Amino acid sequence: MRLILSVALITLSISATSESAGLFDSLQKLTDPASKERQILSGSSQVLSSSKEIDYPTERTIGESLALEGLQRFGNPVKNEALQRYVNLVGNAVATNSKRATIPYQFAVLDSPVQNAFAVPGGVIFVSRALVSILEDEAELAAVLAHEVGHVSAKHALKSTQRAQFFEGVGTITAASVRGDKGKKFASAIGDMQAVLFDKGLDKDMEFEADLAAMETTYRTGYDPSAMIRVLEKLQKLEASSTNKKGSWFSTHPPLAERIARLQAQLQKYPDHSSLASVHDRFAKTAKVK
Amino acid sequence: MRITRSMTRSMVAVLALLLAASIAMAEEKRWVSSEGTALKAEASATSENVADLSVGTEVAVVESGGRWLKVRTSAGKEGWVYAGRVSETPPAAEVAGGDGGIFGDSMKSSQIKTAKADSARSIRGLSPGAAQYAKDRGTPEMYRKSLDVVLARKVSAKELKAFLKEGKIGEYAQVQGGGK
Repeated sequence: MRLILSVALITLSISATSESAGLFDSLQKLTDPASKERQILSGSSQVLSSSKEIDYPTERTIGESLALEGLQRFGNPVKNEALQRYVNLVGNAVATNSKRATIPYQFAVLDSPVQNAFAVPGGVIFVSRALVSILEDEAELAAVLAHEVGHVSAKHALKSTQRAQFFEGVGTITAASVRGDKGKKFASAIGDMQAVLFDKGLDKDMEFEADLAAMETTYRTGYDPSAMIRVLEKLQKLEASSTNKKGSWFSTHPPLAERIARLQAQLQKYPDHSSLASVHDRFAKTAKVK
Repeated sequence: MRITRSMTRSMVAVLALLLAASIAMAEEKRWVSSEGTALKAEASATSENVADLSVGTEVAVVESGGRWLKVRTSAGKEGWVYAGRVSETPPAAEVAGGDGGIFGDSMKSSQIKTAKADSARSIRGLSPGAAQYAKDRGTPEMYRKSLDVVLARKVSAKELKAFLKEGKIGEYAQVQGGGK
């Protein structure tokens, strides 16, 4: 869409410069409803309005639909209210310091044996019981959750499928707009995003971006940002010994060694990082409960 | 000719110096980027609240004291903010909760919208679109109910503060003597 707009604007500027009368005349022509220039401009404004970003309620509807698919694939939330509440407190602590602090976030630990975490558009974030079980302190949990918040902030899932463009400019998705033919398109777009989130994984650069966001967000909250590196190192050890990698953070993310190297370089930005909180005891008390 | 050149050089040098001095004298700006940020009377989370600062508020840095910054608001109020709650660049409209980029609503109205959507969800659970999707796909009731429970969990600003204080995290770290 933006490409069309650029072409339209370039055409307009070429038409302005190619005429000897120059820009001033072209501008005057814009006031004439019948002029070519005016038509181009009104066309480009239509392009602009139709490329308006997906609104929040629509993003949330997409996210909740994906969350329903995620639950079916990875399992229901663990029945431990103290743990679920704890994960929501840690998650919200980092979310309020993220680049997108004004939307509501909800977090849940799923009863899954695969080490994984994923975020759906709009702010629902899941982390598996298996991933929580390898973590050692609250800063590490905060890092995992902040990484996922980073994906939500940057709208990575929405940007990962061409079919998501179907939602652009359609206005708010309602119950009526997911029925019939539109419903088929909606389900197809959800299917695409599922494949990206659960199987293929997001784009490599999006993962690096979320890693850096996790470090920055945990640091701003007051957690030691090196926790993100510690989590990846734990996964690296697991990866070396694991035979079944399907659906885990190893298979859906870029090589761990590359992620760790990039984060270690970034850690120089936080010279006081080791003086920040790790909070081992509270984590051990709440999250290590089986 | 030589005199003119050297005069020109001197003038350029003086101008450069003046420019450098004015840059040095200009106060550094920061923008509030975290929800629930308060301007404090002292560099401590337990000190008195001078004002509540909403996301996007511009402040000028008066003095830096490690993880706390002494700042002044455009209304002239001075106080301290935790450095993690402000950033060096203003939050983008979308970042601040807007939903349409440059065509979007103002930060305030979209925050209200978000809050409305949020409170509506706490009553109704799944959004109508997602409920319809679940119906059409034949999603088992068990998963719909699970998601309802997930969506209904709320963390208030008060609970969050108490949690950070208990863990001696961020702005609560220094007062309590370290965050470990």
